[in-house]
Amino acid sequence: MIEIRFHGRGGQGAVLASELLAQAAFLDGRSPQSFPFFGVERRGAPVTAYARVDDRPIGVRTSIVTPDVVVVLEPGLLRTTSVGDGLRTGGLLLVNSPLPPARLEAPDGVRRASVDATAIALAHGLGSRTMPIVNTTILGALARVTGVVSLEALGRAIDRYVPAAPAENRAAATDGFASVRLGDPAAPSANGAARIPFAVTVPIPEGPLARLPSSSIRTGSWRTLVPEIDERRCTRCNFCWKYCPDDAIELDGRGYPVLVLDACKGCGICAEVCPPHTIAMVAASEGP
Amino acid sequence: MAKLTLPAEEWMYRGHAACPGCGPALAMRLLLKGLGPRTILAIPACCWTVIATPFPTTALAVAVLDNPIESTGASLAGLRAAADALGLADVTVAGFAGDGGTADIGLQALSGMLERRTDAIFVMYDNEGYMNTGVQRSGATPQGAWTTTTPVAGTRRGKREPKKEIMEVVLAHHPSYAATANPAFPEDLVRKAERARAARGPRFLHILAPCPPGWRFSSEETIALGRLATETGLFPLYEVEDGVYRITRPYGTLKPVDEYVRAQGRFRHWTDAEIRELGAQARAGWERLCRRERETAAVARPPPIPLTA
Repeated sequence: MIEIRFHGRGGQGAVLASELLAQAAFLDGRSPQSFPFFGVERRGAPVTAYARVDDRPIGVRTSIVTPDVVVVLEPGLLRTTSVGDGLRTGGLLLVNSPLPPARLEAPDGVRRASVDATAIALAHGLGSRTMPIVNTTILGALARVTGVVSLEALGRAIDRYVPAAPAENRAAATDGFASVRLGDPAAPSANGAARIPFAVTVPIPEGPLARLPSSSIRTGSWRTLVPEIDERRCTRCNFCWKYCPDDAIELDGRGYPVLVLDACKGCGICAEVCPPHTIAMVAASEGP
Repeated sequence: MAKLTLPAEEWMYRGHAACPGCGPALAMRLLLKGLGPRTILAIPACCWTVIATPFPTTALAVAVLDNPIESTGASLAGLRAAADALGLADVTVAGFAGDGGTADIGLQALSGMLERRTDAIFVMYDNEGYMNTGVQRSGATPQGAWTTTTPVAGTRRGKREPKKEIMEVVLAHHPSYAATANPAFPEDLVRKAERARAARGPRFLHILAPCPPGWRFSSEETIALGRLATETGLFPLYEVEDGVYRITRPYGTLKPVDEYVRAQGRFRHWTDAEIRELGAQARAGWERLCRRERETAAVARPPPIPLTA
C-alpha cells in the first residue's frame, strides 16, 4: 500500500487531485481510497487531502500520519505548514516549484522531486496568476515519479471527472509527466533533525472557554498577492484601514497605513478602494 | 491626516478564518465598532461560527453564545432575561445570523422575539445563500442566481423564486428600530449599529454581505459590488424607527444594474432581457421605498406598543 498526502490551498484543487488519483488507480484495476481533511476549506487556507492505493481492498480508514509521498501544490506552504510531518525515510516529497529538487528542503533520507506546475497550468489556461489550478499537472508528475497510476488512466479519469476544460487538463498532466525532475535523497543535516519548519502550535487553554485571540493565527500564509503601499503618494484618507475585512491595516502616529503581514490574506480590497491608487498588489513571493 | 470617521477601537481580532475579501467579516468588524465591548453575541450555525472559533481561539473580543441555527431569537430572549436578572442593564444583547439562520431556519424564533418585544438586536448578515456549507440556495438568494442546488443547465436558469423580503416580514412585527446596512458604506453601518444600541425593544439590522466564493467574483471587488448593490436600488439603505421610514443614502437617479450583474459569476447565464427585468424591479422597489418615506413622514408616531414584555 502506498499512502499519499496532498497539501494545497483552498481553491487550488488539492481535494480533487486526491479524488482523481483514486479514480485513475481504480481504472488501473487497483483498490484506492481518497478523502479530504475536514477543516476550514476557505479560498487560500491550507487544505489537506489523502489517498491510499493498494492491490487489495483497504481496511484502514484513518487519516494518513506517516505518508510515503507528500505532494505540495503551492511552494509557499513549505514555509508555513508542516508538510513534512511523518514523511517516511525513503519517502518522496513532490513540490510544485521552479527550483531543482536539490534546492528543496526535506526531512533526512527523503527523495525530492519538483515540477513547475504553475507555469504549465497557466500555459494551458488553467486558473489565474493568483490561483493557478495545478492539480492535474502535479498528478502527471506524480504518475511519473511514483508509478502509482498510469498516465493513460489519469487521462481517462480527467476526461470523466474534471468538470471544466478536460483537454487542457489532460495536456497539462502530460506536460507534468514529461517535465518533473527527481533528485537525490536529502542528506542528513548536522543535528539529524528534519529541516522542514513545523507549524506554529497554539497552546491549548485550560477550561471550556476559548479565550485566546485569533490574532495568534497567522493567516498571512494564505495570500498569493500582497499589497505594496507607496507612502509618497498616500493621502492618509484611511480607506484601506476602513474597508479591511481582516483588520490587517494599522495607522501609524502620522496616519499612514502599516500592513500587518501576519494577518493580511491578500484579498486586494485596499488596493481597489484606495482613491489615489497608491497600493499595488504584487506576488507574495516578491513582496515584503 | 484625515480624521477617522469610524471608532478606532477594534472588537474583532485579526487572524480569523474568513475567506479573503469576506463581506460578513467586514460587516462584523464594523458592527462591533458601533455596538462596543459591552455586547453579548448569539451566533447560530453560519459562516461566522467557523470564522470566529478555530479552537482554542476566538476572533471576537466580546462574549459569544454559539447556538443552534433555528434558535437565535430564543437565545436573545434568554440572554436578555439573564442579563437583567444579573443587573447588567448596560449590556447589549445581539444576534448575528446568516440569511438562512434568520429568514429561513431561524424565522420562527426571530418572529417570536419580535412579537414578545424582546429587548435585543437581531442582525442578519445576508450573503444570499448557505455559503458556509458550499453555496446552496436560501430564501434570500436572488431570483435567477446560480447555486449548487439551483443549477444552470438546459431549461434551468438558477433559482426560480424571488428573494424573500425579510425587511417586510420584520416590519410587519412593528420593531422599535429596523434598518438596512452595507459594509461598503461603513459610516452608515456604524451609525445604525449605534442607533440600534441606543434604542430599546426589538431591533433588527439587515446587512448585505457580498461573498466572493458564493457569488463568484474576485475577492478585491467586495466593496465595489456592495456599493453597486445600493447605488442600483437593489439594496437601498434606509431605517425605520417606530414606523417612520428614512432613506439614509438618497439618490436622484439609480445606476443601471448591468455592471452589478455582469461582475458576478452566479449571474453569468443572464440575458440582456433578464438584466432589464431586474433593473425594472430595482426601480419599482426604490419608488415604493420613496413613497413610504413620504407617506410616513407626514404621519405622527404610530400607536404605542409596550416596549418590553
